[in-house]
Amino acid sequence: MKLWNSFTKELLLSSKSFYFWIELIMSAIILFVLLFVVPENFNNRTEEYLYLGPQVEETFMEVLLDQDQDGEVEDTVLKSGGEEFNVKLLVTEDNEIYLMESLEDLDFLADKKRPAAAAHIYFADNEVKYDYYIQGYESERLQNLYKVIHAETSDVVEAEFDKIKVETLGAEVEPLSDRENMVPPLIVMNGALLGMFIIASYIFLDRGEGIIKAYAVTAAKPRYYLLSKVFVLMLVSVVSTLIITIPVLGGLPVYWAILILLITSAFFASAIGLIISTYYESMTQAFGVIYILMVVMLLPSIAYFIPSWEPVWVKFMPTYALIQGFKESIIPNGDMNYVLIASLGYLVVGTILFAFAEYRFKRNLGA
Amino acid sequence: MIKVKGLHHSYNKDGNFAVKDVSFEVKEGEVFGFLGPSGAGKSTTQNILTGLLQLQDGTVEVAGYDVKHIKNEMFNRIGMSFEQSNVYSKMTAKENLDFYAKLFDVEARDSMELLKMVGLHDKANMRAGEFSKGQKHRLTFARSMINSPELWFLDEPTTGLDPSIAADIKDIIKAENKKGVTVFLTTHNMYIADELCDRVAFIIDGEIKLIDSPKNLKLQYGEKLVEVEYVDGDETKKESFSTIMEEDKNKLAEIVKTKEITTMHTKEATLEEIFIKVTGRGLI
Repeated sequence: MKLWNSFTKELLLSSKSFYFWIELIMSAIILFVLLFVVPENFNNRTEEYLYLGPQVEETFMEVLLDQDQDGEVEDTVLKSGGEEFNVKLLVTEDNEIYLMESLEDLDFLADKKRPAAAAHIYFADNEVKYDYYIQGYESERLQNLYKVIHAETSDVVEAEFDKIKVETLGAEVEPLSDRENMVPPLIVMNGALLGMFIIASYIFLDRGEGIIKAYAVTAAKPRYYLLSKVFVLMLVSVVSTLIITIPVLGGLPVYWAILILLITSAFFASAIGLIISTYYESMTQAFGVIYILMVVMLLPSIAYFIPSWEPVWVKFMPTYALIQGFKESIIPNGDMNYVLIASLGYLVVGTILFAFAEYRFKRNLGA
Repeated sequence: MIKVKGLHHSYNKDGNFAVKDVSFEVKEGEVFGFLGPSGAGKSTTQNILTGLLQLQDGTVEVAGYDVKHIKNEMFNRIGMSFEQSNVYSKMTAKENLDFYAKLFDVEARDSMELLKMVGLHDKANMRAGEFSKGQKHRLTFARSMINSPELWFLDEPTTGLDPSIAADIKDIIKAENKKGVTVFLTTHNMYIADELCDRVAFIIDGEIKLIDSPKNLKLQYGEKLVEVEYVDGDETKKESFSTIMEEDKNKLAEIVKTKEITTMHTKEATLEEIFIKVTGRGLI
């Protein structure tokens, strides 16, 4: 009963404070950005700029038209460096290929736009020749690839590619859109990480008013005081996450799994925030530590968006399992065992950290 | 009600003691004053007694509970009024009291009755954040009575209050004590101690120098004087005479016989003068 009274009082007081609304306002902003700024799917096609010499144009056009999605060439105007160019556009599954009208146009474009892929293809000395435009930032490996790719006939290269066995797992499952894919790191940032900052702020506000001491000389346990704040954070974390997930993901996620993960991770993050607050006198003093911790905890988000960068140590960070857990809760046929094990981990470690925070609090009451 | 024996406390655990070998007892129904200047160890001792500071060395029993293994139920019998007001500024005065009332296992006093006692009944629905310093202090004082404590810790209860409000607060303390409440009063104000306390302890540099009743202290350390104002020819003179020294007694008798007395009254040493005499230090 005392815990319930403390919680309802805390909820009432928190709702009157600025910090309470930060997370909810952030959720609304994230939701707005996801729905109205971020496209459903990003354009992943690579832009290629080609000038085809007269003798190769017909042959290459045939090949390119075969790969074009609608089998038709689109005449369009390309703007670059204050100039306009009439070009032919072909759109394949992976590329947008712009065919320039002249070599001068390609030279100008390569200089001004500095594209990653530009080439002049022509016939000379009884063979097809390729002049690639190198911008200076290409790796040596790519430059070597340009050199060797035409050493063999394309049939040989394709035969080599065919030897590589590619097996698509879960082909019947619709992959997440780019917008949906962005949700897990965002709710980790807005829920757990911001929660850590907010709970520490609550403690410092109370300490400034001397309220902790007044609570300590009542028949309620100091643990109730701390838990009432943790519960408020959990509630705000759940609400702020649902503000994002319901409109963006609809019925896609397994909501019970998301809730379990949210509550346990909010508990874990709150315990860290509580511990930090016992080592400092004010938010100003603690801000540096909390800020650094938040930045470090965001590193798994980078690994999430750039799969080629995923050092082993990142996998040991608490937010890594959290992001992956949320992703498993969202994707169809996600691994619920992973979610439950991760949640159990946050609960166990969170409990240990909370016990330590409580010990620190009791020790510092008279300070 | 309180038994303290061999209490030591060092904040940095480095041998620099804020409180050194402090021992005393407070009887049930007594008003016990803990007097000393700032930094003397008053708050440290009180914080240990109320569990805000962990007991390091010594034995402390409060309301029958061993403070080494403090139990939350102990606070059902204890009230604590802090020197620094500490109320929820975003809650009204009444909400503050009603919330704290729910944190005890005993029947709470009516919050409006308490607010009336401290003269805040007309501010019951005002946010504590809008209160003056004195009003916040009164609210903190009222809150300490919410659970009808048997043992009442008061830390500078009249500090920052205007004289009429301070007088009301002293009356409340006297009335509660009359009902049987034991009071542990921490202050550097010797006048309030003199007026309220059955016994006082002088603490300085973490050590208790003396414990006795204000009356005994005055008898033991205070030199009784008679202050006389009389007319001598065209002149009005004012002199003090000891009632102990023979020479002064004779001189006083001579004046009474031969001169016209304008005023004459006895003057006792104040508790503050005794404190300075005993400890060699002032109270500020």
